[in-house]
Amino acid sequence: MSLDPITFEVVRNALVAATDEMVVSLRRAAYSTNIKTRADFSCAFFDADLRCIAQGFTQPVHLGSMVQQVPRAVTEYGAENIGPGDAIITNDPFPSGVHLNDVSLVSPVFWDGELVGYVANLAHHVDVGGGAPASIGAFREVFQEGLIIPPVKVVEAGALVPDVWKLVLAQIRSKHETGGDLRAQVAANATGIRRVGALLERHGLGTVRAAIDELLDYTERRTRAELARLPHGSFEAEGYVDSDGYSDERVRLHARVELRADGVRFDITDSEPQRRAPVNSTYAQTYSACAYALKCLIDPDLPVNDGFYRLLQVDTRPGTIAHAEWPAPVVGGWETHTRLVEVIFRALSEALPHGVPAGTKGMMCHAGFGGVDPELGYWCFLETFGGGYGGRFRSDGPDAVQAHGQNTENAPVEETERGYPVLVERLELVEDSEGAGRYRGGLGLRKDYRFPRGPVTFSVLADRDKEGPWGLFGGLPGRPAEYVLQTAEGERRLGAKSTVEVQAGELVSYRTCGGGGYGPPHERDPELVLRDVVDGKVSVERARAVYRVAVDMEARRVDESETRKLRAEVAR
Amino acid sequence: MSYRLGVDIGGTFTDATLVDEATGEVCIAKVSTTPSDPSVGFLLAMERLLAEAGVAGRDLRYLAHATTVATNAIIEGKLARTAFVTTDGFRDLLEIQRQVRSALYNVHFEKPRPLVPRHRCFGVRERLGPDGSVLRELDEEHVRDVAASLRAEDVEAVAVCLLHAYVNDAHERRVGEILAEELPGVEISLSSSVAPEFREYLRASTTVINAGVQPVVLRYLESIEDRLADRGVDAELLVMQSAGGVYTATAAKRRPVYMVESGPAAGVIAAAQLGRALGQPDVISFDMGGTTAKVSLVQDGEPTVTKDFQVGSAAQAGIGGSSFSGYPVRTPVVDLVEIGAGGGSIAWIDTGGKLRVGPRSAGADPGPVCYRRGGAEPTITDANLVLGRLSPTNFLGGEIELDVEGARAAIEERCAKPLGLDVVEAARGIVEIANAAMGNALHLVSVQRGHDPRRFVLVAFGGAGPAHANALARDAEINTVLVPRSPGIFSATGLLVTDLHHEYTTTVLAPLAEVTRERLDELFAPLEDAGRRDLEREGTAPEDVSTVRQLDLRYVGQSFELTVASADPETAADLFHAEHDRAYGFSAPGEPIELVSVRVRAVGRIPKPVPKPLEAGPLPAPTGSRPVHFTEAGGYVETAVYERSALPAGARFEGPAIVEEYDSTTVVHPGFWVEVDTYGNLLLRRMV
Repeated sequence: MSLDPITFEVVRNALVAATDEMVVSLRRAAYSTNIKTRADFSCAFFDADLRCIAQGFTQPVHLGSMVQQVPRAVTEYGAENIGPGDAIITNDPFPSGVHLNDVSLVSPVFWDGELVGYVANLAHHVDVGGGAPASIGAFREVFQEGLIIPPVKVVEAGALVPDVWKLVLAQIRSKHETGGDLRAQVAANATGIRRVGALLERHGLGTVRAAIDELLDYTERRTRAELARLPHGSFEAEGYVDSDGYSDERVRLHARVELRADGVRFDITDSEPQRRAPVNSTYAQTYSACAYALKCLIDPDLPVNDGFYRLLQVDTRPGTIAHAEWPAPVVGGWETHTRLVEVIFRALSEALPHGVPAGTKGMMCHAGFGGVDPELGYWCFLETFGGGYGGRFRSDGPDAVQAHGQNTENAPVEETERGYPVLVERLELVEDSEGAGRYRGGLGLRKDYRFPRGPVTFSVLADRDKEGPWGLFGGLPGRPAEYVLQTAEGERRLGAKSTVEVQAGELVSYRTCGGGGYGPPHERDPELVLRDVVDGKVSVERARAVYRVAVDMEARRVDESETRKLRAEVAR
Repeated sequence: MSYRLGVDIGGTFTDATLVDEATGEVCIAKVSTTPSDPSVGFLLAMERLLAEAGVAGRDLRYLAHATTVATNAIIEGKLARTAFVTTDGFRDLLEIQRQVRSALYNVHFEKPRPLVPRHRCFGVRERLGPDGSVLRELDEEHVRDVAASLRAEDVEAVAVCLLHAYVNDAHERRVGEILAEELPGVEISLSSSVAPEFREYLRASTTVINAGVQPVVLRYLESIEDRLADRGVDAELLVMQSAGGVYTATAAKRRPVYMVESGPAAGVIAAAQLGRALGQPDVISFDMGGTTAKVSLVQDGEPTVTKDFQVGSAAQAGIGGSSFSGYPVRTPVVDLVEIGAGGGSIAWIDTGGKLRVGPRSAGADPGPVCYRRGGAEPTITDANLVLGRLSPTNFLGGEIELDVEGARAAIEERCAKPLGLDVVEAARGIVEIANAAMGNALHLVSVQRGHDPRRFVLVAFGGAGPAHANALARDAEINTVLVPRSPGIFSATGLLVTDLHHEYTTTVLAPLAEVTRERLDELFAPLEDAGRRDLEREGTAPEDVSTVRQLDLRYVGQSFELTVASADPETAADLFHAEHDRAYGFSAPGEPIELVSVRVRAVGRIPKPVPKPLEAGPLPAPTGSRPVHFTEAGGYVETAVYERSALPAGARFEGPAIVEEYDSTTVVHPGFWVEVDTYGNLLLRRMV
């Protein structure tokens, strides 16, 4: 059936609006700070052939993971076994899921008794059981990481399946929150089904199907047009995750990117073998990193659906940290995923100097903690932190911001303190942490949690505490991160992947890394250096030593003759 | 003789409406906005009307104003030299914001630039706990040290936002007192008085905006007041607030952040009041101008109000709270969805070969191709012209002769050819794509919020609204469209039909089950007293004051509150479950409910002018006819054209038809018929 361009545009927008409405519905009804405030979830619509058609994404990490996990769940359960009003739940990382905290809910959309497709949402749950509150930590195998849910029916013909519901909640520490979040996931799919139904009612199944086919072809056409503009060739780079939680032996990642006019191939096969430590990425997570990197290279206005994925090929070797196999632990897979994006950008930096930033925060940087409280019962809290973004071709890297696949908001201090027995003592930028450059990297941030009421189990799942994000084209690296426990005896560093018992009155401090600089620091516009010095982001001493700019703080101006002298020394 | 004047300053035009309170007779004026000093346009529009009606300044009894001055100051970076004072350890709240990127896949993104640079941000030593208890006493000496630094920075305004000040404002008040002593002449905004809401960044942002625009608004309003005084106007100047309802210029100078959406609110208020007057309290307001279209829902005569608002972010089809390109404002704002679809929105072909419309706009300059001002890119207005919906010779009363051939050639070249369509198909496509985008916006404010649009009346205004409303209503299965008189300046009439509003809030954060009716009475009483006191001080007679009690509720653990109007805990719980079910599709009656805050809206009733009825009469002959394209009619059909001013009350005719007036054109589709009501409104109804 052929379709006029106007109906096409109308249907296409309505499909995106449907997933956007699912986002609103999920967020508003959710209970945990991680979902309701930090928006750690995404929604999508798949057609009956399990092709991804439309996405309402708040988190780009889900760009690849949902398109792997949802089709797999349906296939495994059997489309023929899923009826109207049913919903399938799963978080199984193997063979094609992600870490256990990401729980997907998939519901079929029927129209006149015929299967039209699936609406799905994926949400990061704060706790899914396992060895530590918030289900993050340095574990040896996936079984320690929490409850594994293979695709099972959690809603049948519109009603919750009580046995499954109870079994799931029994494994979870913060039952009240998790129960609320799961109900919100059910509500979001109901919203999606209603909205897609309204679209079908208006245009009919034939037209909608024709629009879907055309949408995928259209996306492919536009993606090809974008690929044609890119420099073609093969580009490679390697990089390392700093530590694995058990040893300080860094973890090697390698990426070869083949940019062609007719598609892009990411070859990640040369990454090192998987470890019995929280640094393993599943195939879906690796795929997600590649999809994200490609998406950043093309027009942001371009829709993401199967027409885009068709041109993306991701090769990995099973049994490596980029393609972990059962029963490897995977909770730290997103750390590795994020670093892989960095490696891909580094590979492309020579060919696309305008198109990629210097090294960014490049880690998820989780804090997860919880404990048993006489009033709250077992409570759990999860947050991730922004850091410095890398300098760009023509602009500084923004300060204290999420990078790459991650775009979760910070938990408001007042909301955190109201809901959980913790005090946030400090939330500020880390001065002098930027990677210096013609365009500097962003500053990292510091957040300090004090636990006045009593022992909590605290897990750090992060990285970047050994090497800061790299600079590009003469830019310097950002300052590495620090994770610190402050007790009566003083301060001590915590491992980037570690779990500790924190006693009443003690404090944990995160100081995230700055972003890498772009271009030589002594080429930075002295007025920009002055602005940073006046704002206290860069010290007078650092301005002089690294940027070779002399600042007269009394007069708030650049000492030009002194600066010329300083810079002449560099030239020599 | 007594008159009311409403002046609405928009981005392009300043609209004014003058009503004779005795007769209901209305005069209107439209002048160009004067961006360098908007009060010039204000005065010009006012004087034109006063001269036309032969009215003296002292005869104005009521004077209300909607202005973009606060918003523009933010967007154009013209805020006062502002400082930010917060709890020690948190000076970077404005830098860190929400630590997110405004665009997911753009590595060149920027965070919104903090409205206060870091060197004017200070922490003071003090700390409250979440229950308001003092964890660390306020160090007053430290505050004085900070004051000295502020003096050295020569600041004009200070925003103070201390952690948990929404529960206990003692430290903030004391900081305010010290700063006032140390910094005479500097305006100080306290978060606990501007927006006592929890979540520090949102409150801080709101307070900073209040502080930063305050000197600007102060100068602006004083300049208008001076000019009014020169002309013998002694009526108090009133300003429209973002949530509808006016406040006095005196109150506006203190809390200017409450007026950031004053213009859009005026339009919605006008639609709400028109609906109420006609016995249709449930309306959807549809305001389409040159660059954007705004859709908003009014239920039971009351506009929907939200607190999820950002100033300075780009207009878009919005997916509820996940855009971070602006600065959050946590004051009540009329809940509207604004999208980049106005008469000047540009149609273009994307790299995938598909036709797209907006969000880029040709604006007023160069404007659409057909304006002959050098515009080369086809717009929605050009498409409407090619389809015969606009008259080439009777646009703005014939002031501009529209260039049909130019519009046609541009659409042909830039849209039709690349698509392999003929020019009419392409023009139809432009209009339908725009309509679909507006349809999605309509869906967002209605179905998405749990309202069935089919039981609402669509009120269409703005220069372009009446040309598109009928198609929008048809697609959303809305049965009635209401087009007011002078739709192009309808927003300004909203200024004449509103009441004085003040909002008072106390944050409670307690389980609803533990709150007794008596406790609620205790919480409400001081808020109501404050409301009465403030309104009476502003000149409202006690019998004209009313107060509305509202509760902000949520399930324990949720973050977003729903507001229910009740003063009784049990009734409130029932209302809340029902409202939650309506809004989100489920409720959890077994779950505990948390009372977040109690809220009082104090309303000072202002008598409304009675509109002047139109004389009844038979339908006059059309002023002409021309071929107009309607998809449902299979193409161009010869269509009767009526002159709006010639239509008497009671006139009826069937679509297809065109109704032309000075500042707008109403398109009536086949399958609808029109009735002119007693007051000259056009009612477009679906034929059965």
